Amino acid sequence: MWSVVVEKRGQMKIMQMAFMIIGVFFFFVLVGLFFLNFMIGDVQSGAYELQKRQAISSLEMIAGMNELSFDSRESMMLDEDKLMVMSGGLGDGYEDFWPVASLRVYKVYPTFSEEKKCPGIDCNYYDIYDSGQVDVVTYSSFVSICKRVKEFGHIYDKCEIGKIVAGVKIRGSEAVNED
Amino acid sequence: MKRGRLKIFTFFSQAQKRGQFNFVWIFAILAGGAILVLAIYGAMQTGDVMKLESNTEAGKSISILTDPLQAGFAEGSFGTISFRDNTRINNFCYDGGVGKNDISVSTRSNIGTEWNSPGEPSSIYNKYIFSEDRLEGSDYYVFSKSFDFPYKVADLIFLMSESYCFLNAPNEVEDEIVGLGIKNIEVGECEDIGAERVCFGGGSDCDVIVYGSCSSNCESIYDSGKVVKGSEEMSYVGSLMYGAIFSSEDIYNCNVERLMFRTSKVAKVFSEKVDLMGARGCDSNLKGDLVSWSGMTGNSSSDGLASLRSAGNSLDRKNSREICGVW
Repeated sequence: MWSVVVEKRGQMKIMQMAFMIIGVFFFFVLVGLFFLNFMIGDVQSGAYELQKRQAISSLEMIAGMNELSFDSRESMMLDEDKLMVMSGGLGDGYEDFWPVASLRVYKVYPTFSEEKKCPGIDCNYYDIYDSGQVDVVTYSSFVSICKRVKEFGHIYDKCEIGKIVAGVKIRGSEAVNED
Repeated sequence: MKRGRLKIFTFFSQAQKRGQFNFVWIFAILAGGAILVLAIYGAMQTGDVMKLESNTEAGKSISILTDPLQAGFAEGSFGTISFRDNTRINNFCYDGGVGKNDISVSTRSNIGTEWNSPGEPSSIYNKYIFSEDRLEGSDYYVFSKSFDFPYKVADLIFLMSESYCFLNAPNEVEDEIVGLGIKNIEVGECEDIGAERVCFGGGSDCDVIVYGSCSSNCESIYDSGKVVKGSEEMSYVGSLMYGAIFSSEDIYNCNVERLMFRTSKVAKVFSEKVDLMGARGCDSNLKGDLVSWSGMTGNSSSDGLASLRSAGNSLDRKNSREICGVW
């Protein structure tokens, strides 16, 4: 009879120990998951920060590319003819080339209430590249949009104010616009 | 009778306690050991992941840091990228179409192997990074010049970690190096004995020899030619001379093919632009030449650079004679 009592108490201790180990195991699993979540969040924010920095530093570089620039000796000066060409079929094959998720060039003046894609009558923006990503944060910079024209026998460079807008992929629904 | 029962109970109780004691200790040691092993393994894995993350971030940072170091609308530019510790930068070039430079970074390890495994490579499609396949050091020198063929095609980036000594360099090269204040390149008499010796026009005890061969429409004999590095021989035109000096043959040839593809693409953009300009009364006769130039450069390699140069010069002359120049 005594041995039965002692045996039952021993079993109880083993069960206690087993429960304790399961508890400790789950505790470490939870700690691990929390740490993993923290690290993934850290990596994501790091990646986003790098993308953001790249987009900002890329703006001037993109505007200086000969596929878009009006004069390679001038900074932030875009060629309207090239914008038209690049937003048409010739922009194909450049998908990986752009270091951003989307690239548009807007004509700032006259002001507009409705976006109209160029080429077209009263159009106000050129869609150079769009990766199709939905949640993007955009960064922009003012540029000159120029073209060489011949009027009344004179040749001159006609320029207007524009805005180059680069989009960066972001997480979730943090989409905002920053100038 | 009662005493006898007590003795039996004490005996069983002690035996059980001893059993419990052993069981508890064995269990504690096993469970503790397992947790300890898992914790050490987890910490090592986490450390590796963090190193990988850090190396990947460094690789991406190089791509970003080189943005402002590009020549842009200037003649050239120079900057330094410094790491806290010795770092390896691996450059892999992929040609075919736009192509890319894959840059990966590995840091020095204090445990086990000397170098940590490199981070995930950062693919750079819109830059042309000329360097050796693997660079090592804590300070990296970034020198950039534009590549015009005959219009501006791109900015070339020369990434270096070593010191160079330019011997018998022509005046324009000397002026450029001195003017940009390139720290790791000495011109003329060199104090750094360990520097790579780059001889212009030949010489003795040279690591690299630059032979100029430009004979027509040249500002200098070194406007085109070839660079010889041991058994490697690379043909160049214009600012590609620096690319041939500072990079391995594979990286050089690959980047030249990428540049030729880009030259061809830009020519297509220009040929379309000619049509649009014509519609506004700004006519140009360059359409045919540009289409032909695009076809010539599309699949060209470094071997064809010298012959392409004369065709490019002819195209440039035609453009400068136009009332509405295309570029």
